[in-house]
Amino acid sequence: MANYETITHDVVIVGAGLAGTWAALQASRAGVKDIGVISKIHPLRSHSGAAQGGIAAALSNVQAVPGTGAEGPLEATNENGPLVDTWEMHMADTIKGSDWLGDQDAIEILVKDAIKIIYEYEHLGCVFSRLDDGRIAQRRFGGHSMPRANYSADRTGHVLLHTVHEQALRFGVKFYSDWQCLDLIIEDGVCRGIVALDIVSGKLRVMRAKAVMFGTGGYGRAFKITSNAFANTGDGVAIAYANGVPLMDMEFVQFHPTGLWGSGILMSEACRGEGGHLLNGNNERFMANYAPSKMELAPRDMVSRSEQNEINNGRGAGPNKDAIWLDLRHLGRDKILEKLPEVREFAINFVGVDPIDNLVPIQPTAHYSMGGIPTTADGQVIANAKSDPVVGFYAAGECSCVSVHGANRLGTNSLLEASVFGKRAGDEIARFVKGGAKLYNVTGDPVEKVEKRISTIFARNGKERVDDVAQELKTTMTNNCGVFRDGERLQVAMRDIKALQERIKTARVEDKSHRFNTDLLHAIETENLLNFSEVIVHGAITRTESRGAHSRTDFANRDDANWLKHTVAHKPSNPNDPPILSYKPVNIDYKRYPPMERKY
Amino acid sequence: MAETNTTQPLQTVIVRIQRFNPDVDKKAHMQDFKVEVPAGITLLETLELIKNKMDGTLTYQKSCRHAICGSCAMNVNGKNMLVCKVPLRDVAKNGKVEVRPLQYVPIIKDLVVDRTSFWEQYERAKPWLVPPEQMPEKEFRVSPEEVHALNEAQSCIMCGACYTACTVVAFNKKYYGPAAMLKAYMRVMDPRDTIPGERLKEVGSEDGVFKCHTIFNCIDACPKGLNPTQAIETLRKLAQRRAAFEAERAERLKTIAEPIKK
Repeated sequence: MANYETITHDVVIVGAGLAGTWAALQASRAGVKDIGVISKIHPLRSHSGAAQGGIAAALSNVQAVPGTGAEGPLEATNENGPLVDTWEMHMADTIKGSDWLGDQDAIEILVKDAIKIIYEYEHLGCVFSRLDDGRIAQRRFGGHSMPRANYSADRTGHVLLHTVHEQALRFGVKFYSDWQCLDLIIEDGVCRGIVALDIVSGKLRVMRAKAVMFGTGGYGRAFKITSNAFANTGDGVAIAYANGVPLMDMEFVQFHPTGLWGSGILMSEACRGEGGHLLNGNNERFMANYAPSKMELAPRDMVSRSEQNEINNGRGAGPNKDAIWLDLRHLGRDKILEKLPEVREFAINFVGVDPIDNLVPIQPTAHYSMGGIPTTADGQVIANAKSDPVVGFYAAGECSCVSVHGANRLGTNSLLEASVFGKRAGDEIARFVKGGAKLYNVTGDPVEKVEKRISTIFARNGKERVDDVAQELKTTMTNNCGVFRDGERLQVAMRDIKALQERIKTARVEDKSHRFNTDLLHAIETENLLNFSEVIVHGAITRTESRGAHSRTDFANRDDANWLKHTVAHKPSNPNDPPILSYKPVNIDYKRYPPMERKY
Repeated sequence: MAETNTTQPLQTVIVRIQRFNPDVDKKAHMQDFKVEVPAGITLLETLELIKNKMDGTLTYQKSCRHAICGSCAMNVNGKNMLVCKVPLRDVAKNGKVEVRPLQYVPIIKDLVVDRTSFWEQYERAKPWLVPPEQMPEKEFRVSPEEVHALNEAQSCIMCGACYTACTVVAFNKKYYGPAAMLKAYMRVMDPRDTIPGERLKEVGSEDGVFKCHTIFNCIDACPKGLNPTQAIETLRKLAQRRAAFEAERAERLKTIAEPIKK
């Protein structure tokens, strides 16, 4: 075969959302000039840009008016007065939000670097919403004890993504738009590059590099009701796993409480941060029964469970009693237009309801992947529970698992994580490359395997289409591996996945052309979904406890004695065997932040 | 009360789509797909149904499905829009809808276009902030009013709907086009930016703001309801008083790290 072009860079980054672009920008600023970033869609279309509500950092710019309580109005702080918010408070909130599964050493880095990186974004041109004195405005968010969500109306991810992309261009980073990564090249434990598809021409390329970084995003597309973009098929996670790199804590999937009913399109948590209410079918603010001190601003896992519990007990809203109402009417037209203009449009466009005057039907929606490719706090991918490195391979953002979110991520901590750890990965990659990293030879023909995979897909001529298989996977994942789980339903999901893994082998692709073949990409992405969904479900079956977003009705309690540990899953050598599980201890400072009951 | 998808009546629609694969087709042709779908679904959902149930070779781009990523801009019944946010019934009133790729740029395949010239103009407009060399310890101070002036421009999702509706772009690929100009406007107006004079000189050049014919196609095309023409108008005025504007910015930058007093 060997009919392909080889491209060489010092660093190849896959994914151009916040994590990948920050890594590129930072490595470039640190003096690494030969960086190529590939993205299967244009960088500015990355899913980081869909994040709405804010990015957390304890700037102490805003506080509740004293004496008005958790739902009282906010005011600017006296900037010469004492700090009202600290990184320590942000840390405590994040640890509690994670249900103690987050690694506390990494969380400390996250919350300390948070303050620096917000100011850095601001210095680089990000247009934040402001207080009258010109400081960055802040709002409340779920699970945070202080208003520390820094925001730009309800398009925060969009402005952050544009800011960092602009600066990466300014520093000469080369972007390859519409390029899909199809394989990693790892030989003798050293990562040497990737195999990529130039989607426009349909040609395969080998991209060799001294360092490869994944910032490939999450895996929410494995679910039917999801807030995630079509692009979020967890490609990087699947490719890493297929190449012997483990995946960590995959069973932890966040369900966001306010997806639009029917589609799962996100209505930002800022809706509740700005004072919106949740009502059941009887028009009751049911969160009073579940989290009386935090109400609607309890962490996402709790609010989603509370909603599902209302629905399961016949108190749902709407004609089928399978929805919950999001009530923004009391915020008033002006506040909605100023603070929530985008989400108002979503409600109008996708459920035909203007939140200024009407209740919006919502439901829990698959939103965020807490699990992923395990890394150190410097983005170094690790090969096993002992934390041995995969030399030359880095990851950051939603595809990775540092782990700072543990069993449940707090809102506004994901933009933060992608930024902080993307930047740190960039620093580490620069150290690695400038410290004399070699460009290792690639032996054999890395393209051959990928070519064979593609020709096998083209040869499939069954009755079924790829999308039929994809839809069944999503349905079983939403129905059987969702907000509430139990052993029986998880086994159903596993049987479905194993059957679908067989059925995809004959599922038909109709477009056999080379040029911009989205039918082929759908097949590859669906194979990716099927491969890591098995890891999600296997981890969920094995973890016989409830922690954070993993909530089992047959094991309703958290079990620290047996399960205060990270799940590490390796691909088995025989595909009929389940993933090989091992466990990694959680980093906990038992003096400062010992595990406690999680109540709000 | 909200409507729900479960009780929606079905509608029968002819979706007429422009097809073209330059590797095999001599020229583009139109193909009709007859679909029976729930009345409330979007045009993107309709395309999904056609691709996944009727013809897997149909090719288009999509990602976020809620009008923030800008992937799915297409020409529908002669007007540019994001197909993810438009209900089918709004564009198929007489039972027919016509979908074509964005105009004035090369077609890659079917509804996928090559936006290279669009991105070249974006980069040429230097979309990045050039901040002062001395950074404060905390944030630069920007007033809510100053942010308000930037809100429209920073909402742009770079979908290219305006660019491919602009008749100046149609004949002159050297022209910046509305999106790049909106970006330039955002940086010119940003009180933290140190090179507004240089920017105004560039957008005031022969490929810039004075080439705009002010026929407002960009405003009609913008799926986010933005007004690039107005930004171009403002840039024209500022370009004509560049020195004075530079001096005002230099003055503003002196207090950019200090609290704003009302």
